[in-house]
Amino acid sequence: MAIMRINVGPIHPGTHGVLRLVVDVDGDTIKSVEPHIGFLHRGVEKLMETRMYMQNPSYTEKLDYIAPLSWDDLYVNSVEKALGIPVKEPAQYARVILLEFQRIASHLLWLGTMVNDVGQLFTAFMWCFRDRAKVLKLLEDVSGGRMFYVNLRLGGFNKNMPEDFKERCLALADYLEDKISVYPDVLDSSSVFMERTKDVGVLSKPDAIAYGVSGPVLRASGVEEDARKSHPYYVYGKLDFKVPTYQRGDAYDRYRVRYEEMLESIKIIRQAVEMMPEGDTKGMPIRLIGPAAKPDTVLMQEELPRGEGIIYMIPDKQRPYRISLRSPAFANLSVLPKISEGYRFADLFSIVGSLDVVLAEIDR
Amino acid sequence: MDIQPEDLAKTCADLKAKGFDYLKKITAVDRNDHVEVVYLFYSTADRKDEIIIAKLPPENPEVHTIMKMYPAADWYERELSEMFGISIKGRKADRLLLELWNGKDAPLRKSFAWGKEYRKVE
Repeated sequence: MAIMRINVGPIHPGTHGVLRLVVDVDGDTIKSVEPHIGFLHRGVEKLMETRMYMQNPSYTEKLDYIAPLSWDDLYVNSVEKALGIPVKEPAQYARVILLEFQRIASHLLWLGTMVNDVGQLFTAFMWCFRDRAKVLKLLEDVSGGRMFYVNLRLGGFNKNMPEDFKERCLALADYLEDKISVYPDVLDSSSVFMERTKDVGVLSKPDAIAYGVSGPVLRASGVEEDARKSHPYYVYGKLDFKVPTYQRGDAYDRYRVRYEEMLESIKIIRQAVEMMPEGDTKGMPIRLIGPAAKPDTVLMQEELPRGEGIIYMIPDKQRPYRISLRSPAFANLSVLPKISEGYRFADLFSIVGSLDVVLAEIDR
Repeated sequence: MDIQPEDLAKTCADLKAKGFDYLKKITAVDRNDHVEVVYLFYSTADRKDEIIIAKLPPENPEVHTIMKMYPAADWYERELSEMFGISIKGRKADRLLLELWNGKDAPLRKSFAWGKEYRKVE
């Protein structure tokens, strides 16, 4: 049969942002896929070179609007390293707690939309969004913003945590654990979900390493690698948690890894709340002319919900001379041509969905 | 670790033999009098990082591809050539990765005159 070329996108082929896929199919079988990216390129790295250090968090937050706090934290943490500013101990715990809540919110949004994309319509989607809204409410009460927080300051936060912060975190963790633990019963018994994710988009362990994927995609292929363990930051070194790892590397395993990560995040939150000392979490107010940075190169690596985010920064006195952002979704998307070859055309959307890409951070 | 650009292939082969099997990122820094290409390698077994820096001349910088040894380098090298004007030897000419950009000017070089078009409108 003749090869036919199908153009998918660029507007919403089942993902967040603008992604165009040029797919060659033989009948219903995918021969090749070529992702076209760059529609959302706005030159963030260049823009950040022209702004003072604490003007930049509003750029880093928009890199990944599903987990803005994670990118924001990665940036503010590397600025703290460049300026040599220590983070207050209660603020370190509060950051860990909020980052893990952000991870849960991000995975819940992914799970809801992924299940929708494969055709198990709306039940899991509504459940995930119901639970995610509770997390966003907590983040809103802490920061003042529902979608973009911009509440991190050098050494802490823009204000102290609310008085009932610990009780609310524990109550929310209990609520989430109760609700999240029901999801696998529903999804594993759904033949639609299982047939469209099991053995679809298999990525072998050697390929996962060679193509530089990270985060849940790497761990679903059997590599136990997590920046929270390999490059511990804040108080992650003191906390006891597992890194969920699966072996088969298909779309179903990527769902299992993310699901178990949410449960691990709840464990982390409970421990961090327990260990969090009393005290204020207020950081430095934003002064555009702050302390001058040391000229040493800063390399900061953190585990974002989508994988390992890296900032490589050459500091200048008041602004970065050069800042390079490693987006985990960039590497994860680059493996798409490799893992979708030979599958049916309809499987393409399970595969793209399971990679959990956000185009705003890929295009930068 | 600083290396000469000619030694890149040999250094990568050495690193691969030492267990640095994972390429995290390729990026570059324009230092005005030279351009640094930065390779960030990682060993999944030993959990160690290794940064390799190759210094290139500011005019017509070029560096050899490492895509054969590290397939992850593919998109990073394409981004490098579009954003820094560094030509990557040993690769076929490819479609632009960030395709809405013209691919001729190198926007992340310090010499890039930006804001010009806005001034024209005024």
